[in-house]
Amino acid sequence: MNDSRPSVLIIDDDPQIRRFLRAGFDMEHFAVHEEPTGQGGLRAATLRRSDLIVVDLNLPDIDGSNIVERLRAWSTVPIIVLSVRASDEDKVKLLESGADDYVVKPFSMVELVARARAAIRRQTRTDHGEMVVKSGSLSIDLANRAVFLDEERVTLSPKEYRLLQVLAQHAGNVVTHNTLMKEVWGVRHIDNSHYLRILVRRLRAKIEKNPKQPQILISELGVGYRLASGSEAR
Amino acid sequence: MLFDLRAFLGSPRGRWLREQLAGILVALTIVALLTVLLAAAFVWLPIQHVTIVYLIPVIIASLRWGAIPAVFAGLSGIAGVAYFFYAPFFDLRVQSPAQIADIVLFIAVAAITGRIAIAAREARIRAQAESLRDALIGSVSHGLRTPLAAITGSASILAQSREIEKDEHLASLVHVIRDEADRLNGDIQNLLDATRISSEGLRPRMAWVDPEDLISGALSSKRRALAERPVNLSIADDLPLAYIDATLIQSALGQIIENAIKYSPAGSPIAIKAEQAGAAIRIDVSDQGAGVANAELEKIFERFYRGAAHATNIPGSGLGLWIARALIEACGGRIRALVPDHGTGTTFRLELPVKTQPAADENADE
Repeated sequence: MNDSRPSVLIIDDDPQIRRFLRAGFDMEHFAVHEEPTGQGGLRAATLRRSDLIVVDLNLPDIDGSNIVERLRAWSTVPIIVLSVRASDEDKVKLLESGADDYVVKPFSMVELVARARAAIRRQTRTDHGEMVVKSGSLSIDLANRAVFLDEERVTLSPKEYRLLQVLAQHAGNVVTHNTLMKEVWGVRHIDNSHYLRILVRRLRAKIEKNPKQPQILISELGVGYRLASGSEAR
Repeated sequence: MLFDLRAFLGSPRGRWLREQLAGILVALTIVALLTVLLAAAFVWLPIQHVTIVYLIPVIIASLRWGAIPAVFAGLSGIAGVAYFFYAPFFDLRVQSPAQIADIVLFIAVAAITGRIAIAAREARIRAQAESLRDALIGSVSHGLRTPLAAITGSASILAQSREIEKDEHLASLVHVIRDEADRLNGDIQNLLDATRISSEGLRPRMAWVDPEDLISGALSSKRRALAERPVNLSIADDLPLAYIDATLIQSALGQIIENAIKYSPAGSPIAIKAEQAGAAIRIDVSDQGAGVANAELEKIFERFYRGAAHATNIPGSGLGLWIARALIEACGGRIRALVPDHGTGTTFRLELPVKTQPAADENADE
């Protein structure tokens, strides 16, 4: 096996789903390992190095959210959750217990690969200390706290920058409203979620070409916000 | 054979009959047992008001089997009392006025407690049916969506393939699979929403939401259906925030947009306009289709109603607008269809109430 290929561990009980995931990831040059059960998945996660774990929320033996919690207890490996019928509360809970992102079945492989690559980049950025995040024509220099739109410096207020910084650290993946509230305002203001809506509007006015049709700072209604990753942003 | 008894007993009505007969039998047995016990006690101690004891089988029967066995329990109880315990003995007649009053009282008390017990039983059965339906909806959605996910996912991989892209026919077939799987998924979602609306009602999770996000969210959820359709977007500056369930309103708006796409010619533009109008945030979605007759403006929101002009040539379930209205009204909003002042087509007007805006962050600039 070629070690330079990123490896993905797929935990899903449905053989047909595993089959197309294997084909899809294989075509994206991933090394694929499959497990049909939660127990097997957890064991495989400890035994082999994975650069990404894709786990189904409804496994017959262990609940997917439980798997996320147990993996997060010892690992920072990127995790994407697949779900058939998740409410907003379920999604928020999954993200806050450590999943990097989720996709709702049925989904297109393009969508899953975009989320997966974003989560892997988050991990490599932390590992290699990369400090510049790009999203379309926006570029965020985390080391120098500088933001550029089409090479031109954008002046942001401290809170606007803080919001953008948290989103940039997870570029391409969704960050929940609660997490953003905590990071920007602290736990005391967690119930003032309208602060966030207004701050997002102000930030969009500065970084979006057309703030009313945002291409960079995307809202995932009922869950959180996402900074579009390179390929999605226009 | 004229009448297949076994098949009848296996059918739901047969099962019901069997259960009722069993109930009557058990009720009568309890009454008989009580009568024997009371008779044994009566030898030692002549009890005055035995009727109260016969409430026990009535309550048991109504809790367990419902009204019919309970009535049997009550009547056999009265018969038992009159025959064995009230003079003249071993005779169904009763002479003493006090004992007649006793029996009348028994009937009244048995009727009331029986009713309460039956209501309790029915509430329990309803709760069971509801949890059964929830489980059924859950398993239908899981059972249908999982294979659909495999189809959509596989088609999405094929659509990416260069070999297939080269062949015009194969590429278009892959798109057929993908688009129809999408449509099927939408239909499943509609069915689930419809069941949810009519059975348990909606429980919106209200929060402050930027209306701009609702529009861009709904548009991006209908990205593929919109395809090359031009969308004329006009959103007023500084729209107030709406206090709604974002997911419900986004999917309602998605339904309206999809409806506009479906009932207007391919390639014709769709206009979306959002502004504040008095105490409401107003979102207008206008198409340039054939329009809706005045008489149908209200009817199109009814469940399963399909416009006369389209019922045969455009596929649809007649659920979309009904769902949209239920979702919007659950959040305190309104929706109606209008004939535009000029030009052709239909305008769907969604109005969300404007609440007192929450206090702004005083330290927003820090």
